[in-house]
Formats: sequence, structure tokens, C-alpha cells
Amino acid sequence: MKYKATYIVAGFCLLIVLVQGAIVQQKPMPVQLIFPAHFPPPVYDFKHNPLTRQGIALGRFMFYDFRLSKDSTVSCGFCHQQFAAFGHFDHALAHGVAGGQGIRSVPTLFNLIWQKEFMWDGGVNHLDIQPLTPLTDRNEMASDLPDLLTKMRSDTQYRRMFKEAYGSDSITSERMFKAFSQFVATMISANAKYDSVMLHKADFTAEEAAGYKIYQKKCAACHKEPLFTDFSYRSNGLPYLEALNDVGRMKITGSTDDNLRFKVPSLRNVLKSAPYMHDGRFFDIFQVFDFYDHGIKVTATTDPLVKDGLSLNAQEKRQLYFFLNTLTDDSFIKNEGLSEILIN
Amino acid sequence: MILRIFLSLIIVVGIVTSVKGQSSFFRMSITHMVGNDTMQRETNYYTPTGEPFTISRFRYFLSNFALLTADDKYISLAPTYFLIDESKPASKIIELPDIPSGKYKGVRFLLGVDSIKNVSGPQSGALAVESGMFWSWNSGYIMAQVEGHSPLIQSPTREFVFHVGGYKVKDQILKYISLTFPENLELSGKQNVTLQMTADLNKWFLPDTIRFQQQPVIMAPSYQAKRIAANYQHMFQIIGIQK
Repeated sequence: MKYKATYIVAGFCLLIVLVQGAIVQQKPMPVQLIFPAHFPPPVYDFKHNPLTRQGIALGRFMFYDFRLSKDSTVSCGFCHQQFAAFGHFDHALAHGVAGGQGIRSVPTLFNLIWQKEFMWDGGVNHLDIQPLTPLTDRNEMASDLPDLLTKMRSDTQYRRMFKEAYGSDSITSERMFKAFSQFVATMISANAKYDSVMLHKADFTAEEAAGYKIYQKKCAACHKEPLFTDFSYRSNGLPYLEALNDVGRMKITGSTDDNLRFKVPSLRNVLKSAPYMHDGRFFDIFQVFDFYDHGIKVTATTDPLVKDGLSLNAQEKRQLYFFLNTLTDDSFIKNEGLSEILIN
Repeated sequence: MILRIFLSLIIVVGIVTSVKGQSSFFRMSITHMVGNDTMQRETNYYTPTGEPFTISRFRYFLSNFALLTADDKYISLAPTYFLIDESKPASKIIELPDIPSGKYKGVRFLLGVDSIKNVSGPQSGALAVESGMFWSWNSGYIMAQVEGHSPLIQSPTREFVFHVGGYKVKDQILKYISLTFPENLELSGKQNVTLQMTADLNKWFLPDTIRFQQQPVIMAPSYQAKRIAANYQHMFQIIGIQK
């Protein structure tokens, strides 16, 4: 009898410990990203969106969830394919639900926490708000945001995942967007052969080294190391296509000086992310070399750096190709933490 | 020591609650007008220059409230954002709690969302982007919008869409609105004050004359948006105060 009370009390204590343990387990677990030593500090402010394991998992789940599109056919990962450095392999122009097609190519996704503005024209001013465009564009996922939120709120799995990530199962657009950022923030590509060479862990071959010299002389002013872009908007002399009528950054600023300017894309993983240019008109990197060699059409806004062409001979093109190959980051392209997950 | 900390904590909490208990409550009740008529959607109106039109949607943000004291100082109120929507009666009553005691002669607020919130990513509450009051392709809030129809418009839908926004220097359309109370307002203790206001849509069309045929669609930061904003900053009027 005396022991019975002890057992009851002990059992109760055990129960409390177990319940608390369960609660502790459910708490979002902070994640600290390791930034590459040879990169500048990221511009994304993690103070307003601290990374957690559950937040990243939620972002990843949403990234690959085709139900986020209007007719449940297209996910973010549908166009942003990991093996193409999260660009769209073999697709010149982005396309989405119901056969819709846009006027620009799918940008690659990596190192976005070093980037301040997004889209080819820099129209989007914050990483967290970036997913709004593809989610709602009628040529992409074509979702109505209030409808989408209703859909997600009625899904028990999403309620559970939001609770795990944020402590309560309230599904708001702000939380949704921030979870996307959490996942996208983990897309860091800084482990190509080039990086190993810079960190003195490997050496370029003779051809790669020659290509690096050409790159430094002819490409690096815009495609600046170590991110391989200076994030500026430039008109590179790509002939204007009437059918697409894309004026580039002028659409955002309303300034004629910005006509035909587009964001300088990163050269990292470039050999994995064909086709090239904002409208994907070149399917092969050698076409890009040829364009810079003799294809530039000078307009009022064409960048002085490329106005006279970059003159690349056959040997230089070959060397440049070998250098660009050292920017392919296999550990990123095959990173299992970023890979597609099946949505039931 | 612990006792001392505990006591001082009690005192601090006590002061805070007593101060809170003494603050007043400010309510702004906005009536939408078209000239001399109370606004109703899908009803025929005329602009000041005589152009016929109907309204299907009328929305705008108000934020950054401050009160002007009798000695000409602005007291900023807690940062809150409101999306006023003609189709939602509750949205036309703005509640501003915790007004400190004092003598006030006017109110100031921003018609729109300050630039900081335009560059800070997604927000919740009134600023949640699913309202549609945010441009996805060129980030930034639509500060005010009116949509409707006019038989004068030549397009197939005969629709006009004025989405007015722009926070960057070149296209900045943010307008601070300062309104003077009919008489000084003395607040002490706990008081409930209701400010009766009107917002007249017809002010959007003058003094810089806006005509439907000229530009029925304004959906980007632009010169046209700036013209409208310069007009609409005069749309508010205080018509009464109830204590």
C-alpha cells in the first residue's frame, strides 16, 4: 500500500518527463550554415528568419510540392532541377500550368543569400518575397494566393509541418515564404574544383589555368569572383527579339538607360545550366563564346566592355571551356539535402 | 536581494499598468464619398469634369499615425497598418489604442506603406500580400487602388484600373496626410474618442485633371501614378469628433 503511492507518483513523474521530452523534441532545431571562407558575408539577414531543421524541411517539401500550382501539375522543382543547378535543363523559356509560356529562361538557384535583387530584371527586392512571382504568374504556377493558403490550411500534413517549424499550426503567407527562403538559403554552391584551387587544395591543369587567365582578362569584370557575378544589370549586345519584346530592366525602372539590361548571371555550374542568356537562345556554351566573339549588336545601352567583341580564337574557347568546367560543383548538384522528395 | 528585485519588479509592473490604464482610445471612422454622395459600388457617378463611371473596388493603406500636440510636437503612435476596403465595412473603422494624455490639435498619417516595409519581404496582418495589394513583378505595395468602369473607355471591358504605388525615390508617391481637429482635443484618463472622417474619391481626379480615356490602366510606379497621388492626398476631411 505504502509502495503503491510511490509507484503512482513515480509513474506520474515519468509521464511528465516523457511528455516534456516529446515537447522538447518538437521544438524547432536551430541550424547554423557554414559560409564559404573565400566568400563575402551573405547579404540575407537571418535575424528575421532564423534557420531551423524543421523550417528547412518545410521549405523543401513545399519546393517539390506540385499541389502548390493551380492545377497541381507544376512544383518549383519542376522548373528548377537540381541536376541543372536548379535551372531548367534544355528549356529556353520557362513554362508552367496549362501550356503557359513566359518570355525568359529559368534562372539557376544557388548562393541566393548573397543576392539582393531577384529575377532577370531585378524586379524582386527580397529573397523572402521572390516565390510570390512564380507561384502566382499565370504562365508558371498560376495559383491564387488566398486559395493556395486555404488549400494548405486544410491539409493535416502542412498543419503539422508548420507547427513543427514555427511552434503553432497557423499557416500564413509570411511563414510560407520564409520557409521557402530557409530551404533556398541552404543551396550554397562553393565546392567546385575552382574553389579547391583557390583554397590551395588542388591545382588547375595547364588548359584550365590558361582558361582562367582568359576569364580574368575578358569575363571577370562582370562575372566577378568568387560569386562569378557582380549582380549588376548590363546590356551585353544580345540582339533584341521582336517576338519576345523583352526590354529587361527598363520595365522595372522606367528609365531608357536600362533598356535591354539584364542581371549578370553567375558562371558557377554554367556547363550544367544550358541553355544560356535571359531568353535561353544559346543551347551550347560555344555559341555563347561565338556570340561574344562576333555576334554583338551594339545599341545605345550596350556595355562598353563588350562593344567591340571579346575576340576568342579556337584555342582560347577550348581553354575557357576547360576553366568553366572547374566551376561545376558536383557536391552541390548531388547534395542529397536538396534533392527532390516524393509528395504523396 | 531577491526580495528587492521582486519588489522593484512589482513597482515597475504597477507603473506600466497604471500608465496603460490611463491611456485613451482613438477611433477613426471613415465614410467613403464620391463628391456629395456616399460611395456605393456599381452605382453611377460623375467625376468633377463630368465623366461618368462606376466603382467596383476601392482600397488603400493607412499607417504611421501620429498626433500633433497643442505645442506642435508629433507623438508617434504604435506602428500599425490598416487596409481600408470599401467592400469591408469593418475596415473603415480604425482603432488606435494607448493614446497618452495630452492636448492635441491634429492627426497625421501616411496614405500608403512606408518604404521600409516595401523592402522587408513578406509581412502578416493587413500587409499580407494575399490581399493583392503587392506587385509581384516589381516588388512594392500598391498604396491605393480604385477600379471601375466608364462608358468613355474604348477597351472591350471599358474598365479603368488605377493601382497607385511606388516607394523608390524616382517614383515615390507616399503622402503624409495632416488633418487639423475642429477644436483642440484634451485627453486625460481613459477616454474613447471617435473621429468622423470622409474620403472623397472625386479628389483623385483634380486639380491635375485625370481623364479615363487618357490612361485607363495604371498598374506600375509611374508618372501617371504620381499625378494621381498628388491629387488624392487631399481626399480626407474631418467632419466631427465624438468624445
